[in-house]
Amino acid sequence: MSRHNRRVAYRYLFEQLIRRELRQKYKGSALGVLWYLINPLVLMGAYYLMFGLIFKLDTIDDYPLFLMVGLVVWIFFSQSVLSAAPSLLEQGALVRKASFPRVAIPGAVVSVQLVTFLVILALVAIVTIAIRGTLDVSLLLLAPILACLYAFTLGFALAVSILHAYFRDVAPILSAALLPWFFVSPIFFQIDSITRNDAYRHLLEWGNPIAPFITAIRDVIYGGVMPETDVLAYVAVAAVVMLFGGKWLFDRMQDELAVVV
Amino acid sequence: MSRRPALDAGVVPGEIVLEHASRAFSVKADRGRTLKEMLIGRKRAGGPAPVEALKDVSLRIEPGETVGMVGRNGAGKSSTLRVLSGIVPLNCGRVACGGQVVAQLELGAGFGRDFSGRENIFLNGALHGLVKEQIEQRLEAIIAFSELGDFIDAPVATYSSGMFLRLGFSIAAHLDADVLLIDEVLAVGDEAFQRKCEARIASQIAAGATLVLVSHDAALIERTCERVIVLDGGRVVFDGPVGEGMPFYHRLMGTAEGADAVTPVPGEPPGERV
Repeated sequence: MSRHNRRVAYRYLFEQLIRRELRQKYKGSALGVLWYLINPLVLMGAYYLMFGLIFKLDTIDDYPLFLMVGLVVWIFFSQSVLSAAPSLLEQGALVRKASFPRVAIPGAVVSVQLVTFLVILALVAIVTIAIRGTLDVSLLLLAPILACLYAFTLGFALAVSILHAYFRDVAPILSAALLPWFFVSPIFFQIDSITRNDAYRHLLEWGNPIAPFITAIRDVIYGGVMPETDVLAYVAVAAVVMLFGGKWLFDRMQDELAVVV
Repeated sequence: MSRRPALDAGVVPGEIVLEHASRAFSVKADRGRTLKEMLIGRKRAGGPAPVEALKDVSLRIEPGETVGMVGRNGAGKSSTLRVLSGIVPLNCGRVACGGQVVAQLELGAGFGRDFSGRENIFLNGALHGLVKEQIEQRLEAIIAFSELGDFIDAPVATYSSGMFLRLGFSIAAHLDADVLLIDEVLAVGDEAFQRKCEARIASQIAAGATLVLVSHDAALIERTCERVIVLDGGRVVFDGPVGEGMPFYHRLMGTAEGADAVTPVPGEPPGERV
Protein backbone atom coordinates (compact mmCIF):
# COMPACT_ATOMS: atom_id res chain seq x y z
CA MET A 1 0.00 0.00 0.00
CA SER A 2 1.19 3.46 -0.76
CA ARG A 3 1.41 6.07 1.94
CA HIS A 4 -1.73 7.74 0.66
CA ASN A 5 -3.74 4.52 0.59
CA ARG A 6 -2.65 3.77 4.08
CA ARG A 7 -3.88 7.12 5.28
CA VAL A 8 -7.28 6.59 3.65
CA ALA A 9 -7.49 3.08 5.09
CA TYR A 10 -6.68 4.22 8.59
CA ARG A 11 -9.26 6.95 8.39
CA TYR A 12 -11.79 4.21 7.80
CA LEU A 13 -10.38 2.26 10.74
CA PHE A 14 -10.79 5.35 12.86
CA GLU A 15 -14.43 5.60 11.82
CA GLN A 16 -14.98 1.96 12.71
CA LEU A 17 -13.36 2.36 16.12
CA ILE A 18 -15.61 5.32 16.86
CA ARG A 19 -18.65 3.21 16.01
CA ARG A 20 -17.36 0.48 18.26
CA GLU A 21 -16.73 2.93 21.07
CA LEU A 22 -20.25 4.31 20.77
CA ARG A 23 -21.78 0.87 20.73
CA GLN A 24 -19.84 -0.73 23.54
CA LYS A 25 -19.98 2.02 26.08
CA TYR A 26 -23.62 1.79 26.90
CA LYS A 27 -24.50 -1.59 25.45
CA GLY A 28 -27.73 -3.05 26.71
CA SER A 29 -28.80 0.16 28.41
CA ALA A 30 -32.24 1.45 27.56
CA LEU A 31 -31.10 4.95 26.74
CA GLY A 32 -27.93 3.89 24.91
CA VAL A 33 -25.90 6.70 23.41
CA LEU A 34 -28.23 9.23 25.03
CA TRP A 35 -26.15 8.69 28.17
CA TYR A 36 -23.42 10.65 26.47
CA LEU A 37 -25.76 13.62 26.65
CA ILE A 38 -27.48 12.85 29.96
CA ASN A 39 -24.30 12.53 32.01
CA PRO A 40 -22.97 16.02 31.32
CA LEU A 41 -26.44 17.51 31.60
CA VAL A 42 -26.91 15.98 35.07
CA LEU A 43 -23.48 17.21 36.07
CA MET A 44 -24.34 20.68 34.85
CA GLY A 45 -27.60 20.57 36.80
CA ALA A 46 -25.76 19.60 39.97
CA TYR A 47 -23.20 22.37 39.61
CA TYR A 48 -25.91 24.87 38.86
CA LEU A 49 -27.70 23.82 42.03
CA MET A 50 -24.53 24.29 44.03
CA PHE A 51 -23.07 27.46 42.57
CA GLY A 52 -26.14 29.05 41.06
CA LEU A 53 -28.66 28.54 43.84
CA ILE A 54 -26.91 27.58 47.07
CA PHE A 55 -23.76 29.72 46.90
CA LYS A 56 -25.26 32.52 44.92
CA LEU A 57 -22.70 34.49 43.01
CA ASP A 58 -24.96 37.35 42.07
CA THR A 59 -22.27 39.65 40.77
CA ILE A 60 -22.28 37.90 37.41
CA ASP A 61 -25.12 38.55 34.97
CA ASP A 62 -27.13 35.54 33.83
CA TYR A 63 -25.03 33.40 36.09
CA PRO A 64 -26.49 30.03 34.97
CA LEU A 65 -25.44 30.77 31.40
CA PHE A 66 -22.01 31.94 32.51
CA LEU A 67 -21.63 28.69 34.45
CA MET A 68 -22.92 26.42 31.68
CA VAL A 69 -20.58 27.69 28.97
CA GLY A 70 -17.52 27.11 31.14
CA LEU A 71 -18.79 23.82 32.44
CA VAL A 72 -19.41 22.34 28.98
CA VAL A 73 -15.81 23.03 28.02
CA TRP A 74 -14.50 21.54 31.24
CA ILE A 75 -16.65 18.43 30.93
CA PHE A 76 -15.38 17.79 27.41
CA PHE A 77 -11.78 18.11 28.50
CA SER A 78 -12.04 16.09 31.69
CA GLN A 79 -14.25 13.32 30.28
CA SER A 80 -11.99 12.96 27.26
CA VAL A 81 -8.76 12.57 29.18
CA LEU A 82 -10.37 10.41 31.86
CA SER A 83 -11.77 7.94 29.37
CA ALA A 84 -8.68 8.05 27.13
CA ALA A 85 -6.27 7.22 29.96
CA PRO A 86 -7.24 3.53 30.35
CA SER A 87 -8.28 3.08 26.70
CA LEU A 88 -5.16 1.27 25.49
CA LEU A 89 -5.43 -1.24 28.31
CA GLU A 90 -9.13 -1.74 27.66
CA GLN A 91 -8.37 -2.58 24.04
CA GLY A 92 -5.48 -4.83 25.05
CA ALA A 93 -6.73 -7.81 23.06
CA LEU A 94 -6.56 -5.74 19.93
CA VAL A 95 -3.17 -4.23 20.69
CA ARG A 96 -1.59 -7.61 21.43
CA LYS A 97 -2.89 -9.39 18.37
CA ALA A 98 -3.20 -6.92 15.54
CA SER A 99 -0.93 -4.41 13.94
CA PHE A 100 -2.53 -1.03 13.28
CA PRO A 101 -1.83 2.57 14.32
CA ARG A 102 -2.38 2.52 18.06
CA VAL A 103 -3.03 6.22 18.11
CA ALA A 104 -6.48 5.45 16.69
CA ILE A 105 -7.65 4.06 20.04
CA PRO A 106 -7.35 7.16 22.25
CA GLY A 107 -8.15 9.23 19.17
CA ALA A 108 -11.51 7.50 18.82
CA VAL A 109 -12.30 8.02 22.51
CA VAL A 110 -11.67 11.76 22.30
CA SER A 111 -13.56 12.09 19.05
CA VAL A 112 -16.65 10.44 20.52
CA GLN A 113 -16.52 12.95 23.36
CA LEU A 114 -16.12 15.74 20.85
CA VAL A 115 -19.38 14.83 19.13
CA THR A 116 -21.34 14.97 22.40
CA PHE A 117 -19.59 18.16 23.37
CA LEU A 118 -20.52 19.86 20.12
CA VAL A 119 -24.17 18.88 20.52
CA ILE A 120 -24.37 20.22 24.07
CA LEU A 121 -22.34 23.31 23.27
CA ALA A 122 -24.67 24.11 20.37
CA LEU A 123 -27.67 23.91 22.71
CA VAL A 124 -26.00 26.07 25.35
CA ALA A 125 -24.77 28.58 22.76
CA ILE A 126 -28.17 29.00 21.14
CA VAL A 127 -29.88 29.56 24.48
CA THR A 128 -27.15 31.90 25.72
CA ILE A 129 -27.05 34.01 22.58
CA ALA A 130 -30.85 34.17 22.43
CA ILE A 131 -31.21 35.31 26.04
CA ARG A 132 -28.25 37.65 26.17
CA GLY A 133 -28.35 38.92 22.61
CA THR A 134 -24.62 38.33 22.22
CA LEU A 135 -24.62 37.50 18.53
CA ASP A 136 -21.47 39.12 17.24
CA VAL A 137 -18.92 38.61 14.47
CA SER A 138 -16.58 37.30 17.15
CA LEU A 139 -18.69 34.11 17.05
CA LEU A 140 -16.83 33.29 13.84
CA LEU A 141 -13.80 32.65 16.03
CA LEU A 142 -15.60 29.80 17.76
CA ALA A 143 -14.68 27.20 15.13
CA PRO A 144 -10.91 27.80 15.24
CA ILE A 145 -10.98 27.99 19.04
CA LEU A 146 -12.82 24.68 19.21
CA ALA A 147 -10.33 23.15 16.79
CA CYS A 148 -7.57 24.27 19.15
CA LEU A 149 -9.42 22.82 22.13
CA TYR A 150 -9.78 19.50 20.33
CA ALA A 151 -6.08 19.48 19.42
CA PHE A 152 -5.10 20.35 22.98
CA THR A 153 -7.35 17.68 24.47
CA LEU A 154 -6.25 15.06 21.95
CA GLY A 155 -2.59 15.74 22.67
CA PHE A 156 -3.21 15.52 26.40
CA ALA A 157 -5.21 12.29 25.93
CA LEU A 158 -2.44 10.71 23.84
CA ALA A 159 0.09 11.49 26.54
CA VAL A 160 -1.95 10.14 29.44
CA SER A 161 -3.08 7.03 27.56
CA ILE A 162 0.44 5.96 26.60
CA LEU A 163 1.83 6.87 30.05
CA HIS A 164 -0.92 4.88 31.75
CA ALA A 165 -0.12 1.80 29.66
CA TYR A 166 3.36 1.77 31.19
CA PHE A 167 2.72 3.33 34.58
CA ARG A 168 -0.60 2.28 36.01
CA ASP A 169 -0.71 5.14 38.47
CA VAL A 170 -1.36 7.71 35.79
CA ALA A 171 -5.14 7.33 35.53
CA PRO A 172 -5.71 7.43 39.33
CA ILE A 173 -3.44 10.47 39.63
CA LEU A 174 -5.27 12.14 36.79
CA SER A 175 -8.71 11.54 38.27
CA ALA A 176 -7.49 12.83 41.63
CA ALA A 177 -5.99 15.92 40.02
CA LEU A 178 -9.05 16.81 37.99
CA LEU A 179 -11.15 17.89 40.97
CA PRO A 180 -8.76 20.55 42.34
CA TRP A 181 -8.01 21.47 38.75
CA PHE A 182 -11.72 22.12 38.26
CA PHE A 183 -11.85 24.41 41.27
CA VAL A 184 -8.96 26.59 40.14
CA SER A 185 -10.34 26.88 36.61
CA PRO A 186 -12.48 29.94 35.86
CA ILE A 187 -15.68 27.93 35.48
CA PHE A 188 -17.94 29.14 38.27
CA PHE A 189 -16.05 32.35 39.01
CA GLN A 190 -14.41 35.19 37.17
CA ILE A 191 -10.73 35.48 37.87
CA ASP A 192 -10.97 39.27 38.26
CA SER A 193 -13.62 39.02 40.94
CA ILE A 194 -11.86 36.63 43.29
CA THR A 195 -8.41 38.17 43.65
CA ARG A 196 -6.83 41.61 43.56
CA ASN A 197 -3.37 40.15 43.80
CA ASP A 198 -1.71 40.37 40.39
CA ALA A 199 0.54 37.38 40.94
CA TYR A 200 -2.39 35.09 41.78
CA ARG A 201 -4.41 36.50 38.95
CA HIS A 202 -1.66 35.80 36.43
CA LEU A 203 -1.19 32.34 37.83
CA LEU A 204 -4.90 31.54 37.49
CA GLU A 205 -5.06 33.04 34.03
CA TRP A 206 -1.91 31.63 32.50
CA GLY A 207 -0.69 28.89 34.80
CA ASN A 208 -3.69 26.70 34.03
CA PRO A 209 -3.61 25.70 30.36
CA ILE A 210 -7.34 25.05 30.14
CA ALA A 211 -8.26 28.50 31.54
CA PRO A 212 -7.60 30.47 28.33
CA PHE A 213 -9.77 28.02 26.37
CA ILE A 214 -12.64 28.56 28.78
CA THR A 215 -12.13 32.32 28.71
CA ALA A 216 -12.00 32.48 24.93
CA ILE A 217 -15.08 30.31 24.36
CA ARG A 218 -17.00 32.22 27.01
CA ASP A 219 -16.01 35.55 25.45
CA VAL A 220 -17.48 34.67 22.08
CA ILE A 221 -20.64 32.91 23.30
CA TYR A 222 -21.55 34.54 26.61
CA GLY A 223 -19.82 37.87 26.24
CA GLY A 224 -20.30 38.51 22.54
CA VAL A 225 -16.87 40.09 22.40
CA MET A 226 -13.54 39.33 20.80
CA PRO A 227 -11.22 37.44 23.14
CA GLU A 228 -8.03 39.27 24.03
CA THR A 229 -5.23 38.71 21.55
CA ASP A 230 -2.96 37.20 24.19
CA VAL A 231 -5.68 34.69 25.11
CA LEU A 232 -6.07 33.67 21.48
CA ALA A 233 -2.33 33.38 21.05
CA TYR A 234 -2.10 31.22 24.17
CA VAL A 235 -4.89 28.97 22.90
CA ALA A 236 -3.19 28.46 19.54
CA VAL A 237 0.25 27.83 21.02
CA ALA A 238 -1.08 25.50 23.73
CA ALA A 239 -2.95 23.48 21.10
CA VAL A 240 0.10 23.04 18.88
CA VAL A 241 2.48 22.30 21.74
CA MET A 242 0.16 19.79 23.41
CA LEU A 243 -0.81 18.01 20.19
CA PHE A 244 2.73 17.59 18.93
CA GLY A 245 4.11 16.92 22.39
CA GLY A 246 1.51 14.24 23.05
CA LYS A 247 2.03 12.65 19.64
CA TRP A 248 5.79 12.72 20.07
CA LEU A 249 5.56 10.99 23.45
CA PHE A 250 3.09 8.46 22.08
CA ASP A 251 5.32 7.61 19.13
CA ARG A 252 8.35 7.29 21.33
CA MET A 253 6.67 4.92 23.74
CA GLN A 254 4.28 2.90 21.59
CA ASP A 255 6.72 0.24 20.35
CA GLU A 256 6.44 -1.93 23.44
CA LEU A 257 2.68 -1.54 23.79
CA ALA A 258 1.82 -5.10 22.77
CA VAL A 259 4.12 -6.33 25.52
CA VAL A 260 2.98 -4.12 28.38
CA VAL A 261 -0.79 -4.02 28.02
CA MET B 1 5.48 8.40 12.26
CA SER B 2 7.28 5.92 14.47
CA ARG B 3 11.00 5.79 15.02
CA ARG B 4 10.95 2.21 13.86
CA PRO B 5 11.82 1.82 10.18
CA ALA B 6 8.97 0.61 8.01
CA LEU B 7 8.51 -3.12 8.13
CA ASP B 8 8.79 -3.44 4.39
CA ALA B 9 11.96 -1.41 3.97
CA GLY B 10 14.44 -3.00 1.60
CA VAL B 11 12.52 -6.17 0.70
CA VAL B 12 10.25 -7.13 -2.16
CA PRO B 13 6.62 -8.08 -1.47
CA GLY B 14 6.42 -11.52 0.04
CA GLU B 15 10.03 -11.55 1.20
CA ILE B 16 10.89 -12.00 4.87
CA VAL B 17 14.23 -11.18 6.45
CA LEU B 18 15.42 -11.57 10.01
CA GLU B 19 19.02 -10.59 10.72
CA HIS B 20 20.58 -11.32 14.08
CA ALA B 21 17.16 -10.83 15.63
CA SER B 22 16.95 -10.96 19.41
CA ARG B 23 14.05 -10.30 21.70
CA ALA B 24 13.62 -10.87 25.43
CA PHE B 25 10.47 -10.61 27.50
CA SER B 26 10.11 -9.81 31.14
CA VAL B 27 8.18 -12.55 32.88
CA LYS B 28 7.11 -10.62 35.94
CA ALA B 29 3.52 -11.08 36.97
CA ASP B 30 2.79 -7.39 36.85
CA ARG B 31 4.17 -6.22 33.56
CA GLY B 32 3.26 -2.59 33.88
CA ARG B 33 5.57 -0.47 35.93
CA THR B 34 4.21 1.78 38.60
CA LEU B 35 5.33 5.32 39.04
CA LYS B 36 6.79 4.44 42.42
CA GLU B 37 9.26 2.10 40.77
CA MET B 38 10.26 4.75 38.34
CA LEU B 39 10.80 7.30 41.06
CA ILE B 40 12.58 5.07 43.56
CA GLY B 41 14.73 3.11 41.17
CA ARG B 42 14.07 1.68 37.80
CA LYS B 43 13.98 -2.03 38.48
CA ARG B 44 12.36 -4.24 41.05
CA ALA B 45 14.94 -6.47 42.62
CA GLY B 46 14.53 -10.23 42.33
CA GLY B 47 12.04 -12.08 40.23
CA PRO B 48 12.84 -14.30 37.30
CA ALA B 49 15.26 -13.08 34.67
CA PRO B 50 13.81 -12.01 31.31
CA VAL B 51 13.09 -14.85 28.93
CA GLU B 52 14.96 -14.65 25.66
CA ALA B 53 12.34 -15.61 23.13
CA LEU B 54 14.58 -15.02 20.13
CA LYS B 55 18.37 -15.29 20.29
CA ASP B 56 20.28 -14.03 17.32
CA VAL B 57 17.93 -15.49 14.73
CA SER B 58 18.80 -14.95 11.08
CA LEU B 59 16.66 -16.23 8.28
CA ARG B 60 15.53 -15.27 4.83
CA ILE B 61 12.32 -16.43 3.24
CA GLU B 62 11.77 -15.82 -0.47
CA PRO B 63 8.42 -14.75 -1.93
CA GLY B 64 6.12 -17.71 -2.46
CA GLU B 65 7.87 -20.06 -0.04
CA THR B 66 5.82 -22.17 2.35
CA VAL B 67 7.49 -22.45 5.70
CA GLY B 68 6.38 -24.45 8.71
CA MET B 69 7.69 -23.37 12.06
CA VAL B 70 7.83 -26.01 14.75
CA GLY B 71 9.34 -26.47 18.17
CA ARG B 72 8.44 -27.01 21.80
CA ASN B 73 6.15 -24.73 23.73
CA GLY B 74 8.13 -21.60 24.44
CA ALA B 75 10.65 -22.18 21.66
CA GLY B 76 9.97 -18.74 20.21
CA LYS B 77 7.55 -19.59 17.39
CA SER B 78 4.78 -17.20 18.35
CA SER B 79 7.29 -14.51 19.26
CA THR B 80 8.77 -14.82 15.79
CA LEU B 81 5.36 -14.30 14.23
CA ARG B 82 4.63 -11.31 16.46
CA VAL B 83 7.96 -9.80 15.43
CA LEU B 84 7.29 -10.48 11.75
CA SER B 85 3.85 -8.90 11.95
CA GLY B 86 5.32 -5.77 13.53
CA ILE B 87 3.38 -6.07 16.77
CA VAL B 88 6.47 -6.53 18.91
CA PRO B 89 9.78 -4.79 18.11
CA LEU B 90 13.18 -6.43 18.34
CA ASN B 91 15.70 -5.63 21.05
CA CYS B 92 18.36 -5.80 18.41
CA GLY B 93 18.77 -7.00 14.86
CA ARG B 94 16.66 -6.30 11.81
CA VAL B 95 13.25 -7.50 10.69
CA ALA B 96 11.65 -6.88 7.33
CA CYS B 97 8.48 -8.32 5.92
CA GLY B 98 7.49 -7.22 2.44
CA GLY B 99 4.10 -6.22 1.08
CA GLN B 100 0.71 -6.77 2.67
CA VAL B 101 1.21 -8.88 5.78
CA VAL B 102 -1.83 -10.71 7.10
CA ALA B 103 -1.26 -12.10 10.56
CA GLN B 104 -3.71 -14.63 11.94
CA LEU B 105 -2.46 -14.84 15.48
CA GLU B 106 -5.82 -15.04 17.12
CA LEU B 107 -8.98 -15.34 15.10
CA GLY B 108 -11.59 -12.79 15.93
CA ALA B 109 -9.25 -10.62 18.00
CA GLY B 110 -10.89 -7.24 18.12
CA PHE B 111 -14.40 -8.40 17.32
CA GLY B 112 -16.96 -6.14 18.92
CA ARG B 113 -19.14 -8.59 20.75
CA ASP B 114 -22.26 -6.49 20.33
CA PHE B 115 -21.67 -6.05 16.64
CA SER B 116 -23.25 -8.39 14.15
CA GLY B 117 -21.05 -10.67 12.12
CA ARG B 118 -21.51 -8.38 9.16
CA GLU B 119 -20.44 -5.29 11.11
CA ASN B 120 -17.43 -7.16 12.44
CA ILE B 121 -16.34 -7.91 8.91
CA PHE B 122 -16.07 -4.16 8.34
CA LEU B 123 -14.35 -3.52 11.67
CA ASN B 124 -11.89 -6.35 11.18
CA GLY B 125 -11.22 -5.42 7.57
CA ALA B 126 -10.49 -1.88 8.71
CA LEU B 127 -8.03 -3.21 11.29
CA HIS B 128 -6.23 -4.91 8.44
CA GLY B 129 -6.03 -1.62 6.60
CA LEU B 130 -8.89 -2.06 4.12
CA VAL B 131 -11.34 0.68 3.23
CA LYS B 132 -15.08 0.34 2.97
CA GLU B 133 -15.21 -0.30 -0.78
CA GLN B 134 -12.59 -3.02 -0.58
CA ILE B 135 -14.50 -4.76 2.18
CA GLU B 136 -17.80 -4.44 0.32
CA GLN B 137 -16.23 -6.16 -2.69
CA ARG B 138 -15.31 -9.12 -0.51
CA LEU B 139 -18.36 -9.15 1.72
CA GLU B 140 -20.40 -11.79 -0.08
CA ALA B 141 -17.42 -14.09 -0.48
CA ILE B 142 -16.55 -13.79 3.20
CA ILE B 143 -20.10 -14.51 4.32
CA ALA B 144 -20.39 -17.46 1.97
CA PHE B 145 -17.06 -18.88 3.10
CA SER B 146 -17.96 -18.58 6.78
CA GLU B 147 -21.14 -20.65 6.24
CA LEU B 148 -22.86 -18.52 8.84
CA GLY B 149 -25.99 -17.94 6.77
CA ASP B 150 -28.55 -15.81 8.56
CA PHE B 151 -26.39 -15.67 11.67
CA ILE B 152 -24.26 -13.08 9.91
CA ASP B 153 -26.69 -10.41 11.11
CA ALA B 154 -26.80 -11.65 14.71
CA PRO B 155 -24.41 -10.22 17.31
CA VAL B 156 -21.25 -12.30 17.57
CA ALA B 157 -21.88 -12.57 21.32
CA THR B 158 -24.51 -15.16 20.37
CA TYR B 159 -22.08 -17.23 18.28
CA SER B 160 -20.66 -20.57 19.27
CA SER B 161 -16.88 -20.59 19.51
CA GLY B 162 -16.71 -22.47 16.20
CA MET B 163 -18.82 -19.84 14.45
CA PHE B 164 -16.69 -17.09 15.96
CA LEU B 165 -13.48 -18.65 14.66
CA ARG B 166 -15.00 -19.41 11.27
CA LEU B 167 -15.91 -15.78 10.79
CA GLY B 168 -12.44 -14.70 11.93
CA PHE B 169 -10.75 -17.03 9.50
CA SER B 170 -13.05 -16.10 6.63
CA ILE B 171 -12.18 -12.42 6.97
CA ALA B 172 -8.43 -12.98 7.14
CA ALA B 173 -8.59 -15.46 4.26
CA HIS B 174 -10.08 -12.85 1.93
CA LEU B 175 -7.44 -10.19 2.34
CA ASP B 176 -4.89 -9.93 -0.45
CA ALA B 177 -1.86 -11.19 1.39
CA ASP B 178 1.72 -11.12 0.22
CA VAL B 179 2.73 -12.73 3.49
CA LEU B 180 0.49 -15.02 5.54
CA LEU B 181 1.47 -15.52 9.16
CA ILE B 182 -0.68 -18.18 10.78
CA ASP B 183 -0.36 -19.27 14.39
CA GLU B 184 -2.10 -22.50 15.27
CA VAL B 185 -5.48 -21.28 14.15
CA LEU B 186 -6.34 -23.85 11.52
CA ALA B 187 -8.04 -26.16 14.00
CA VAL B 188 -11.15 -24.21 13.16
CA GLY B 189 -14.59 -25.70 13.04
CA ASP B 190 -15.28 -29.21 11.87
CA GLU B 191 -13.21 -31.34 9.57
CA ALA B 192 -14.96 -30.14 6.45
CA PHE B 193 -14.29 -26.54 7.32
CA GLN B 194 -10.65 -27.31 8.12
CA ARG B 195 -10.22 -28.81 4.67
CA LYS B 196 -11.80 -25.71 3.20
CA CYS B 197 -9.36 -23.50 5.14
CA GLU B 198 -6.41 -25.51 3.87
CA ALA B 199 -7.70 -25.28 0.33
CA ARG B 200 -8.12 -21.54 0.71
CA ILE B 201 -4.56 -21.16 1.98
CA ALA B 202 -3.32 -23.35 -0.88
CA SER B 203 -5.02 -21.05 -3.38
CA GLN B 204 -3.47 -17.99 -1.76
CA ILE B 205 -0.06 -19.67 -2.02
CA ALA B 206 -0.77 -20.51 -5.66
CA ALA B 207 -1.46 -16.82 -6.15
CA GLY B 208 2.06 -16.11 -4.93
CA ALA B 209 1.68 -15.54 -1.18
CA THR B 210 4.41 -16.50 1.25
CA LEU B 211 3.25 -18.69 4.12
CA VAL B 212 4.71 -18.99 7.59
CA LEU B 213 2.70 -21.52 9.55
CA VAL B 214 3.18 -22.30 13.22
CA SER B 215 1.61 -25.55 14.27
CA HIS B 216 2.07 -28.62 16.42
CA ASP B 217 0.21 -30.63 13.81
CA ALA B 218 3.01 -32.46 12.00
CA ALA B 219 0.71 -33.81 9.31
CA LEU B 220 -0.57 -30.34 8.53
CA ILE B 221 2.97 -29.01 8.19
CA GLU B 222 3.90 -31.87 5.91
CA ARG B 223 0.85 -31.30 3.73
CA THR B 224 1.23 -27.52 3.52
CA CYS B 225 4.90 -26.62 3.72
CA GLU B 226 7.98 -27.30 1.64
CA ARG B 227 10.43 -25.89 4.12
CA VAL B 228 10.54 -26.28 7.86
CA ILE B 229 12.28 -24.27 10.55
CA VAL B 230 12.76 -25.89 13.93
CA LEU B 231 13.17 -23.52 16.84
CA ASP B 232 14.50 -24.49 20.21
CA GLY B 233 15.19 -22.11 23.07
CA GLY B 234 14.88 -19.09 20.78
CA ARG B 235 17.37 -20.35 18.20
CA VAL B 236 17.02 -21.92 14.78
CA VAL B 237 18.22 -25.51 15.15
CA PHE B 238 17.09 -26.74 11.78
CA ASP B 239 16.21 -25.00 8.57
CA GLY B 240 15.65 -27.04 5.46
CA PRO B 241 13.27 -29.17 3.41
CA VAL B 242 10.30 -30.60 5.22
CA GLY B 243 11.34 -34.15 4.37
CA GLU B 244 14.42 -33.82 6.58
CA GLY B 245 13.04 -31.28 9.01
CA MET B 246 10.16 -33.29 10.38
CA PRO B 247 12.27 -36.34 11.30
CA PHE B 248 14.68 -33.93 12.97
CA TYR B 249 11.80 -32.34 14.85
CA HIS B 250 10.49 -35.72 15.98
CA ARG B 251 13.92 -36.72 17.23
CA LEU B 252 14.21 -33.40 19.04
CA MET B 253 10.90 -33.96 20.73
CA GLY B 254 11.76 -37.60 21.45
CA THR B 255 8.71 -38.74 19.60
CA ALA B 256 10.37 -40.61 16.72
CA GLU B 257 9.99 -44.38 16.86
CA GLY B 258 13.13 -46.15 17.99
CA ALA B 259 15.22 -43.00 17.91
CA ASP B 260 16.82 -41.31 20.88
CA ALA B 261 16.17 -37.65 21.36
CA VAL B 262 18.97 -35.48 20.11
CA THR B 263 20.24 -32.42 21.86
CA PRO B 264 20.89 -29.80 19.25
CA VAL B 265 24.12 -27.88 19.43
CA PRO B 266 23.25 -24.19 19.72
CA GLY B 267 24.73 -22.07 17.02
CA GLU B 268 25.45 -25.00 14.75
CA PRO B 269 22.23 -25.65 12.95
CA PRO B 270 22.47 -28.71 10.81
CA GLY B 271 20.09 -27.29 8.24
CA GLU B 272 21.43 -26.66 4.79
CA ARG B 273 20.00 -23.23 4.22
CA VAL B 274 21.54 -21.25 7.04
